[in-house]
Amino acid sequence: MSRYVIKFYKEGVLRYISHLDLLRLFKRSFKREGIRLQYSQGFNPHPKMSFAQPLSLGYSSTGEYIEFETTQPYPPEEIKEKMNRILPEGMGILSCEELPAAGKTLAAMTNAADYEISIPCPEGGNIDIIQLVSAYLSQKAITVLKHQRKSGKDVEIDMKPMIHDFAGFVDNNYIMLHCRLSAGSTANLSPELVLSSFCSHSRISYDRTEVNIKRKEIYFDS
Amino acid sequence: MVLTNQLDKLLMKVEKPGRYTGGEWNSASKDLSGIKTRFGFAFPDTYEIGMSYLGLQIIYHILNKKDSVFCERIFAPAIDMEELMRKEGIPLFTLETKSPVKDMDILGFTLQYELSFSNLINMLDLSGIPFKSAERTKEHPFVAAGGPCAFNPEPLADIVDFFMLGDGEEILPEVCEAHESWKMSGREKEEFLKTLAQIPGIYVPKFYTPVYEENGTIRSIERNYEKAPLQIEKRIVEDLNTVDFPEHCIVPFIDTVHDRAVIEIFRGCTRGCRFCQAGMIYRPVRERSKDKIKEIAMSQIESTGHEELTILSLSTSDHSEIEPLVQELMGVCRENNVSLSLPSLRLDSFSFKVLEEIQGYKKSGLTFAPEAGTQRLRDVINKSITDQDIYHAMEKAIELGWSNIKLYFMVGLPTETFEDLDGIAEIARNITDLNYRITGKRGRFNVTISVSNFVPKAHTPFQWFPQDSAELFHKKHQYLKDKLKSIKGVTFQYHGTEVSYMEAVFARGDRRLSDTLIKAVELGCKFDGWREHFNYGLWIKALDETGIDPDFYACRVRSFEEVLPWDLIDSGVTKAFLLEENQNAVKGSQSVDCRRGCIGCGINQRVNCTMEGTL
Ligand code: SF4
Repeated sequence: MSRYVIKFYKEGVLRYISHLDLLRLFKRSFKREGIRLQYSQGFNPHPKMSFAQPLSLGYSSTGEYIEFETTQPYPPEEIKEKMNRILPEGMGILSCEELPAAGKTLAAMTNAADYEISIPCPEGGNIDIIQLVSAYLSQKAITVLKHQRKSGKDVEIDMKPMIHDFAGFVDNNYIMLHCRLSAGSTANLSPELVLSSFCSHSRISYDRTEVNIKRKEIYFDS
Repeated sequence: MVLTNQLDKLLMKVEKPGRYTGGEWNSASKDLSGIKTRFGFAFPDTYEIGMSYLGLQIIYHILNKKDSVFCERIFAPAIDMEELMRKEGIPLFTLETKSPVKDMDILGFTLQYELSFSNLINMLDLSGIPFKSAERTKEHPFVAAGGPCAFNPEPLADIVDFFMLGDGEEILPEVCEAHESWKMSGREKEEFLKTLAQIPGIYVPKFYTPVYEENGTIRSIERNYEKAPLQIEKRIVEDLNTVDFPEHCIVPFIDTVHDRAVIEIFRGCTRGCRFCQAGMIYRPVRERSKDKIKEIAMSQIESTGHEELTILSLSTSDHSEIEPLVQELMGVCRENNVSLSLPSLRLDSFSFKVLEEIQGYKKSGLTFAPEAGTQRLRDVINKSITDQDIYHAMEKAIELGWSNIKLYFMVGLPTETFEDLDGIAEIARNITDLNYRITGKRGRFNVTISVSNFVPKAHTPFQWFPQDSAELFHKKHQYLKDKLKSIKGVTFQYHGTEVSYMEAVFARGDRRLSDTLIKAVELGCKFDGWREHFNYGLWIKALDETGIDPDFYACRVRSFEEVLPWDLIDSGVTKAFLLEENQNAVKGSQSVDCRRGCIGCGINQRVNCTMEGTL
């Protein structure tokens, strides 16, 4: 039994493929390329395979991670090559590495993620993005209402400790926001919340369907 | 014009955007510059349903094999997407290139069920294509249709330019070739249709005009183009082993109704159930050989990565090599970590053995279709299942530990009485008793009685019979409900009568219904096959406003002399045979399975019946 992690990108039409659909696509890709996955025991066996962090529908990414176990060892380069041959347009493997057989899952080690948010510049507005960003970050607390599934109530949370990095600039008529946010099981911040809170604080109006969000990297506890 | 950018914005807002993206494994992409015929294959329902339909994969494969043809897929957008498309002015598009449907040369619909007709029309509307053939110009694609419902094409006669009857593998390449030469010639649209009318299996409705009697029935069907054939013979692939079958099937990204590798093991059925349209129009039985099936199975698994494989036919167990076939397929599947599913098995000892071997089957429950509650009525419909067969199978099933059994019946069959309904209840009771006898327990055992409403279909021995009235259906459903209520462990399910009624109207309708269909769509009818979308009130309004009495089509006894709207269409089964079978039904006399001897349906005048007398 061997354990690997693949780093991949996902863009184009594949942005619209959900988490579960993506798992199936990987399963089939491994199958088509003859890479034998290790299956769980029990009544309903499923391959041992999981993502570091689910990616929201509509987001593109250049830094997704999936880990999986195989029944026999394969050279990581071979896995990368085979998978790149088979994956549909819009997806590709950036790297493949072997992992120690035992150890925490990637999901458990996930700690932060980088996002790039691009917002079309509002017409006619002259935007001093540097100033807006520093005004936003100079707030004592950056609060939002977050819906809690358990209690069904909206509670106010302070996002500030979960924003590790935040920068903005204007490029080609797009406001580009680069941010590093907490991710994983202990603290997790959705870029949607940052987008809406920053824009409302900065009085920038936008149409969500014209905003693109890309995940650029995921960081793990070492 | 390609719509990619405009679409992107919509996809952010809709449910299941993966329905509209295309780009799946094994989907086609071609350089348009070499293409002479752009063929839009349209399925009048959502992506998830259309992609589960094997015929789509077959046709897609056959057409895209041709260098000069590009076949692209078109599905009905779901309600939320349709709303946005209309709001943003985005026309219906193809999945492959996101081209507006209007850019196609031929728009070919598959007609799997009558209640999808409204979606066909709605899809024309979304494409900006006028509904009626007569209103379309050279700027618009030709609108074509095929599939089982094309065997009574008349309700769509004013809408569809031409219908293709029978096996698509035969006819579609010829249509595309004819299109290519017509396109080069630069002649009028009419000329293409005239050429098509000469191709066997093609029906061009505008070349015929029905003349009506005062009572509304058809007096005669006049031809208004002298070269149009008097009878349109369906096309038949004689040997399934010689036609291409898709091995590199499109693999959807998103979950569909049936997301699995599928192989058609034979076409047609020898049993001759008298209510069954498929059993008549797909004659004769043509088998794919065991080795060919295995070869396709391995290739499909390899090229799709599917985790499930299934075989398709009207009656799985009837394949002449079924036992070795299943054994070998089980081997292939085991080796590849693929699960095998075997639908519509006859419940004999072999099947039980196989079902026992296939893991996880027990969970899904066991289904069985006696169709009628008494031997008398089963003789009428020529369903060759005896009470003994039923109890024998159930006994075996219970012994093997099945605890969820579903039985399918039809109500409203010709000659049915309340005694036949008592028969259904008796079967249900006997099965629960059987379970008690065998297991000693009453709990944790369920028999579901699922009842559908009989819809008389064109080209069957029952095509002259009326459908029960809504009141009678209600009475029968209520009767069964009361009877079954008292039996512990029995669940009763039945279909809505209103849906079956509309189905009956269009299954045997004539071309006066074209206006009704258009009206219905204008009033908002769509997705009528979906219970939550079917709107009976709107249909009644549409019928009313177009001056149509639905009972005339659904509930009227038709005389044997009457000219039927589909009389032009020759399924290869003679009307004389259907008539004889109709009389046999009334007499309650059974006819044998063709494998026990030919009963003279007429199809062997056209092609060989290889299964004749093989039992
Ligand atoms: S011609 Fe005879 S054997 Fe052939 S399908 Fe018809 S009844 Fe059966």
